Amino acid sequence: MIEVEKLSKRYKRNESAEVEALKEATFQIARGEFVCVRGASGSGKSTLLNLLGCLDQPSSGAYRLDGEEVSRYTDKELSRIRNAKIGFIFQSFNLLPRTTALENVEIPMVYGNGRVERQRARDALVRVGLSERAEHFPTQLSGGEQQRVAIARALINRPTLILADEPTGNLDVNAASAVMGLLQSLHGEGRTILLVTHDPAVAAYASREILLRDGAVVSDRTLNGNNRTDQGAL
Amino acid sequence: MRAANIISQAAQSMDRYRVRAALMMLGIVVGISSLAILSSVGEATKRETMQRFKNMVGTFDTIIVRPGGGRSRGMPTLVNVPPTLRFDDANAIAAEVPDVKAIAEVQNAFDIDVQYRERTTSPAVFGVSCNWLELRSEDVAEGSFFSEEQNASLARVALLGADVRNGLFPAEDPLGKAIRIANVPFQVIGTLQSRGAGPAGAALDNIVLIPINTASRRLFNRDYLTMLIAQVKNPDQSTDATEKVAALLRERHHIRPPALDDFTITNPAVTMAQVTRAGSTLRKVLIGVSLMALLIGGIVIMALMSIAVSERRKEIGIRRSVGAARSDIVQQFLLEAVLVALAGGIAGVLIGVGGMQIVARIQKLPLILLWEPIITAILVALGTGLLFGTYPAWKASRVDAIQSLRS
Repeated sequence: MIEVEKLSKRYKRNESAEVEALKEATFQIARGEFVCVRGASGSGKSTLLNLLGCLDQPSSGAYRLDGEEVSRYTDKELSRIRNAKIGFIFQSFNLLPRTTALENVEIPMVYGNGRVERQRARDALVRVGLSERAEHFPTQLSGGEQQRVAIARALINRPTLILADEPTGNLDVNAASAVMGLLQSLHGEGRTILLVTHDPAVAAYASREILLRDGAVVSDRTLNGNNRTDQGAL
Repeated sequence: MRAANIISQAAQSMDRYRVRAALMMLGIVVGISSLAILSSVGEATKRETMQRFKNMVGTFDTIIVRPGGGRSRGMPTLVNVPPTLRFDDANAIAAEVPDVKAIAEVQNAFDIDVQYRERTTSPAVFGVSCNWLELRSEDVAEGSFFSEEQNASLARVALLGADVRNGLFPAEDPLGKAIRIANVPFQVIGTLQSRGAGPAGAALDNIVLIPINTASRRLFNRDYLTMLIAQVKNPDQSTDATEKVAALLRERHHIRPPALDDFTITNPAVTMAQVTRAGSTLRKVLIGVSLMALLIGGIVIMALMSIAVSERRKEIGIRRSVGAARSDIVQQFLLEAVLVALAGGIAGVLIGVGGMQIVARIQKLPLILLWEPIITAILVALGTGLLFGTYPAWKASRVDAIQSLRS
C-alpha cells in the first residue's frame, strides 16, 4: 500500500549549507501492517512521517500511496489525500481549543466532499469510549481522553493509513496503555498503522520495526509477535 | 457543500473569539453608522432645502427681474431699488418674448403697519398682478383673489397671509372686515394658504397682498416696480428666455455694452442647481469623514486578524493536517473578516437609523429612510472586510503546518 523509493528530503540550513534529513529511504508497507519507526531524535523520523502524511513534499524519490504517485502532487491534491486517506495522531493531541470534543471530531468532515454528519462524529466518540464527553472542551479532558478524541478525529473519514507520532509521549502509563490498546484494536480491524516512537514498550505493539539513523534506514525487521507480551504491560 | 462547511467553521470561530470579533467590528460600526446617518441626513437636508427654496420662489418655471444692476442688497423694496423697472417693461416682455407665458408685476415694501381695530401688525405688503396665484402656485384659503376689474378700478381690497390673518383675527372671520394699511382703509376679501418656511427661515406668511394698481396709486405712490415675475412656457429653456428678456430690457433701457445692466435677472432653476451643488459638496466632505472611519475600521480588522493568525497557528496546522488546502484556510479567514465586517455593517446601519431619528428630531428635518445608502453601507462594509481580510488570510495560508503542529 505504501511504496517508497529513494525518498529524500533536503532542507536549506542557510545560504550555503543543506541538511539531508532523509536519505534515499526505500521500503514498502503492505495493507494492514503495524509498523513502528524508531530512531534517535534528529534521525529523520519526523521528516519521514511528514512525507508519508503528505504534509511535506520530498526533494527527490517516489512515494506511491494506495496506488497513487503523490510525490509531485500540488497542495490541493495532497490536502485531498490527507483528508481521505490519512489519520494523524500527535504527541501533543492537537485538538482545537474552545471547541468541544464532538466538534473536534467533525473537523475532517468539513474538508471532505459531503456534509458534516454529527451522528458519525458521535459514533466515533463511542468507538473510543468517550460518548459521555462529547460536549466537553479539551481543557476539561484528561490527557488520555484528549488523545482518544484525537484518535476519533483520525478515524472519522475512514482513512487507509493511520500515522501516530509519539502518541503516548505525553501520557501516564494507564492512559498510554488505553491508547495503545485502541491502536491495537484498529490494527485488528485491518487498518495500516505507522507509529513513530522511541519508547521500546510502545514499539513492541508493532509487528515490524524500521530503524533510522542520520536520515537513513539502517534496519527493517519483522518483530517477534510475542515481544509485547514478553515485556509485559507498559 | 464544502463551502457551506467552511462558512459554518468561520461562524463558529467568531463565536469562540467573541471579544476579538466585537473589537474588530467597532471601527466598522462607527464608520458605517456615521456613513448611514450622514448620507441620509445629507439627502434629507437637500430635499428640505429644495422645499424651502420652492416655498420662496413658488415654482421653478419662473424667472425674476429686479431693478438695479450688481448684487442684491437683501430683499428688494420700494425704498431701496432704483426706479428703472417700469410697468411698460412688463407689458413689453409679455408682448414681445414668446417664451414668456405670463408676467406678474410686483411692488412691495416691508414693515407696513396694518391695523384692525386695536390690533396692529407690520407685515410685508405686496402689490401684485391678478395672475399672482397662478404664477406662484399658491392658493386662497378663504374668500377669493381680486379681479382685473378691481385692479383697474384701484379697489382697496386685500388678502392676508396666514400669520397676518391669525394676528389680526385670532377668533374672527376676517372676510369683509375693514383694515387700515398705512392708514389707508382696505377691505379683506380673502386669506392665503400657509407657505411654510423659506430658505433662511423667512416668514413667508407675514404678508398682505393688494392689487398692483391700487398699491401704485393709492398706497405707495410710486410708478416703478420692485420685481417682475415671468413664467416661461418651457422650464427647460428658462436660460434661453432669460437671455431674451435681458436683450429686450437692454434695448428698452438704451443700454449698450460695455454699459452695465440696470436690472438683474435670477433664474430659480440655476440658483437651485447652485444650492444643491453646495449641499452635495458638504455631503461629499461628510462621506469622506465616514470613509476615513471605515479605513481605520479596516486597519483594525487587519491588525487584530493578523494577531489572531499568529495565535491560531496551531489551529491552522491542525486544519491542514486533516485535509484543509491553503485555499481553504484563505477562505476561512477571509470569511471571518467578511462576517465580522458584515455584522459590524448591520450593527452600524441599525445604530445609524437610530441616530438619524435623533438628528431628525433635533434638526427638525423630516426622517427619510433611504434604502440606497443602507445597501451601499452594507456593501461598503463587506468590501472593507474583504479588502482588509485578504492580507491576514493570505498570511494564515502560509503558516508552516509542520512547525505549528509540533509546538
